[in-house]
Amino acid sequence: MRLAGRRTPEVSAWEEFPVNQGALCRKGWAAAGLYGGRERLTSPLVRDRGTGEWSAVSWDDALDRVADGIRAAQASGGPDRVAVFGGGGLTNEKAYALGKLARVALGTSQIDYNGRWCMSSAASAGIRAFGLDRGLPFPLVDVEETDVLVLVGSNLAETMPPAARHLDRLRERGGKVVVIDPRRTPTADRADLHLQPVPGTDLALALGLLHLLAAAGAVDPAYLAERTTGWEDVRDSVASWWPERVERVTGIEAHELRALAAMLGRSPRVMVLTARGAEQHSTGSDTVLAWINVALALGMVGRRGAGYGCLTGQGNGQGGREHGQKADQLPGYRRIDDPAARAHVAGVWGVEPDSLPGPGRSAYELLDALGTPDGPSALLVLGSNIVVSAPRATHVTSRLEALDLLVVCDIVMSETAALADVVLPVTQWAEETGTMTNLEGRVVLRQRAVTPPSGVRSDLEVIAGLAERLGSAASFPTDPEEVFAELGRASAGGPADYSAITYDRIRDEKGVFWGGERLFADAFAHPDGRARMHAVEHRGAAEQPCADYPVHLTTGRVLAQYQSGAQTRRVRSLPDDGPFVELHPLLAGRIGVGQGDVVRVATRRGEMTAPAKVVPTIRPDTVFVPFHWVGANRLTNDALDPASRMPEFKVCAASVVAHA
Amino acid sequence: MPERPQRIVVVGGGMAAIRLAEHLAGDDRLAVTVLADEPHAPYNRILLSAVLEGTHSADALTLRSEEWCASNGIDLRLGARVLEIDRDTREVVLVDGQRVAFDRLVLACGSIPTLPPIRGLVRRDGSLHPKVHAFRSLADCRRLEAAVRPGQRAVVVGGGLLGLQVARALGVRGLLTEVVEGADHLLASQVGPGAGGVLARDLRRLGTEVYTGARAVRLTDDGLQLDNGYVLPTDLVVLTAGGRPSTALARRAGLMVRRGVVVDHTLTSVTDDRVHAIGDCAEHRRRTTGFVAPAWEQAEVLARVLRGEEASYDGSRSVARLRATGLEVAVLGDPERAAGEVVEVTNPLTGSHRRLVVHGGRIVAAALVGDLSRVGLITQLYDRGTLLGPDEPGQLLLPEAPDAPAPLPDEAEVCACAGVTAGEVRACGSVGECVDRTRATTGCGGCADVVRRLVEGSPTPVAVG
Repeated sequence: MRLAGRRTPEVSAWEEFPVNQGALCRKGWAAAGLYGGRERLTSPLVRDRGTGEWSAVSWDDALDRVADGIRAAQASGGPDRVAVFGGGGLTNEKAYALGKLARVALGTSQIDYNGRWCMSSAASAGIRAFGLDRGLPFPLVDVEETDVLVLVGSNLAETMPPAARHLDRLRERGGKVVVIDPRRTPTADRADLHLQPVPGTDLALALGLLHLLAAAGAVDPAYLAERTTGWEDVRDSVASWWPERVERVTGIEAHELRALAAMLGRSPRVMVLTARGAEQHSTGSDTVLAWINVALALGMVGRRGAGYGCLTGQGNGQGGREHGQKADQLPGYRRIDDPAARAHVAGVWGVEPDSLPGPGRSAYELLDALGTPDGPSALLVLGSNIVVSAPRATHVTSRLEALDLLVVCDIVMSETAALADVVLPVTQWAEETGTMTNLEGRVVLRQRAVTPPSGVRSDLEVIAGLAERLGSAASFPTDPEEVFAELGRASAGGPADYSAITYDRIRDEKGVFWGGERLFADAFAHPDGRARMHAVEHRGAAEQPCADYPVHLTTGRVLAQYQSGAQTRRVRSLPDDGPFVELHPLLAGRIGVGQGDVVRVATRRGEMTAPAKVVPTIRPDTVFVPFHWVGANRLTNDALDPASRMPEFKVCAASVVAHA
Repeated sequence: MPERPQRIVVVGGGMAAIRLAEHLAGDDRLAVTVLADEPHAPYNRILLSAVLEGTHSADALTLRSEEWCASNGIDLRLGARVLEIDRDTREVVLVDGQRVAFDRLVLACGSIPTLPPIRGLVRRDGSLHPKVHAFRSLADCRRLEAAVRPGQRAVVVGGGLLGLQVARALGVRGLLTEVVEGADHLLASQVGPGAGGVLARDLRRLGTEVYTGARAVRLTDDGLQLDNGYVLPTDLVVLTAGGRPSTALARRAGLMVRRGVVVDHTLTSVTDDRVHAIGDCAEHRRRTTGFVAPAWEQAEVLARVLRGEEASYDGSRSVARLRATGLEVAVLGDPERAAGEVVEVTNPLTGSHRRLVVHGGRIVAAALVGDLSRVGLITQLYDRGTLLGPDEPGQLLLPEAPDAPAPLPDEAEVCACAGVTAGEVRACGSVGECVDRTRATTGCGGCADVVRRLVEGSPTPVAVG
């Protein structure tokens, strides 16, 4: 980032940065386009519920109004009447301060964040299998060292384009890339083997793969004996997943599965990376466990250039889940129901351990409870555009509308902010300093480069302002470096221990890994040092196609947009042609639509219309809709994974017809 | 005082039995005993031919270990052969005289291989001729494995799914193998003569001779004699001529038996509502099956019935897949007898036969032989009963069209990362200039090849995508 002229910031490459070596995609190059836009909010706004009119108010008036609303809600029904909803894009400092605000100043258990909808299945599986969740337990560049890279449900060539360069270098070295995705994506185009399973069947595919590896004696018995527990049950559980059975369930032809097994079975180093395609299911955490079992059975986890990892989906996907904005966690990736963790964190905060609330509702359950007799009546939202990004979005929107008080902190009038009673304009990335923990567990520092417009405050200042008004027992510093130091003390001794990391170290070392650069070389994080293998079974998607809703619907991203699009849709240099419905020529022929014709997609929860994009690269029994616009998530299913509470974004039953 | 758990006794230790036990595991209201007559922990029987072929190790077949059963509250008794069912006292009697009491009895006895009427097969003392092998159990598989030597001759009697798998397995193991099938073509109970002919051709190509319309009548020291006069010299004879439901126990106990133990939609004997049957030994709506998928569906339904839940078995859609290297067969439903319109593509030149039976716009049966393209999709459409357009069945049978290469128009986006069109790239004099001016290739790098060709003015069309 540099400043050209007086006011216009410009993005430039930082070639020494080890993660991307200076490469960016067009979202990165265009990120400065968010500055100076007409849509930028620069004054707190309150909405008159009677007329719907917005009026600008002072910060004091706005914060007083929020504090009054919180007090009123809590007076009527206790602390849990107020809820907090955070985001995986918030800096570590903000995530930490937000969790502290909830637990100390608000005293509410009702806090969760949109990262629950992102990496929670992988996080849950990682903790169960390895005793620890760090997206990648090795640097991303290790990808280039493996012999076979298996990407399960990742389209990184579009979602994190610079990372795709690793695939090319891997292949130049003679390594192989396998992509598992119902769509032949640009990532799949770079693969040596692409398998296109029925959405929601990645778990069965993993079981079938492990079946073949076990049957061929390709597993590593010494590793299994020394470094894992549970292999015998897992081995027996996959005996019933022979390739032709897998074919019937997944649609992957038996010979393709055999080809994959043969490729893995003879390779010294195998790396499996999962992403949202595998994880955003009601069976997401079991699916990840099944793929982890493959990596463990081959003896790969902990070996250089091999193993298992999760590709995070948000700017601070990793750090966002470590410091207390998750319903069941305290800073340092501690459990909120662990008495020792409570005592430690309460000590740092200067409060009694008993004063900390227990675990609250998960993200979707929290939203589903809003405005109900037992649920919160006031909600504070930071770094999230719920109306676009929540599953079963029409229902969730109606829950937001049922609140007595909705407060949204944002940089623009997002679809969610538009429903709020109070909108607080906050600083954006280059206007503030803070740390993020990237997909490798590397803590990086983003330093303030430009002066924020007058009238906006940082999220840390908003949090401090509210805490003060609510008479918080703990102090809330607003200097990011000070907050980071406190976060370090609160996380000390926890699974994600930041206590030895400082801003100076991050600057000097171009990022610092928590826990070390590579994990699990000698031991896993369970007390006995062994990884746990869990026998998991295929259950399938919660909603299966039927006569009324005969196709699978899956959702995902396009390159030029990011998440709910609240930012990217407002950058003029990024193309925004709106949503589309991707479908196969066979299906297009069946319903009689051609390229660009408007189609209507409906599920049991809602419907949308968009132009058809007819492509041979998608399964003929599946349609795809990108989720950056209002629409896709009106359709998606709110069935939850029992372990991670991840909603089933990636598959449900839908109908698709030509729009009259 | 809590009620005593309901005692559920399962006769049989095969794939249906253990699947039922898995579904019942962990329910304290039930005490489940599995009486398995084989000495091994329950294993995946359908992969025995893969063990013979050498693609699967035998120890990878175990479905549930004794330890698993013990820790999940399943009383698994191996080598427990049932002699008799006493419905009056509600006990089963084992061959060793032990009696096991039940509240509910589940018959999951499987099937018994049919012994074809071949003279000399059975010796005077009732044992099989030493050259003769059945192929039903792990013990059969091990005995056959121990007997095979590369270069030996083998004859497989029975050209059904199992016979073809065993024949291929023996061929892969280096035996000179021949198949004898009494019907006019191979796989006669699943597919028509066209498909059977393709299979016979494939087998011959793989070195296995096929005799159809021929019955083996006599085994002598010279070999196996057929009713057409041929004598096939052989070291081994493997019997794969099908099986019949194992119903002797049920019959003796006075339960209604036709071909199998007759059960209703709750998989309960029509004679005794405390007795159930699942898997190969059960007859539901006048049908018995020899496949594992319906057996497992029945196990799941019966588990719910036994737990007191509402559940009913409505029949199964069958998908039969050959598991043998070099032979490609999928049979969905009953493609010879299902009612509907037939869409068929046969190519004797390449040796493929593809047939869909479509009724009311839905695929109700299919046979794919020699070319399994899109078998995964066709199976999905069949299993889910998807309503298709009139052109679809035909398109499903044709080869998938490759993406046609097209010249890139100037407005086509070449570099998605930086948002650069083909025209903008063409306007550059070199790749380096293009990188500097447009940032093309600097993101994911996927367009580098296309950019180079565009800049060099390559005359060949460039495929989009």
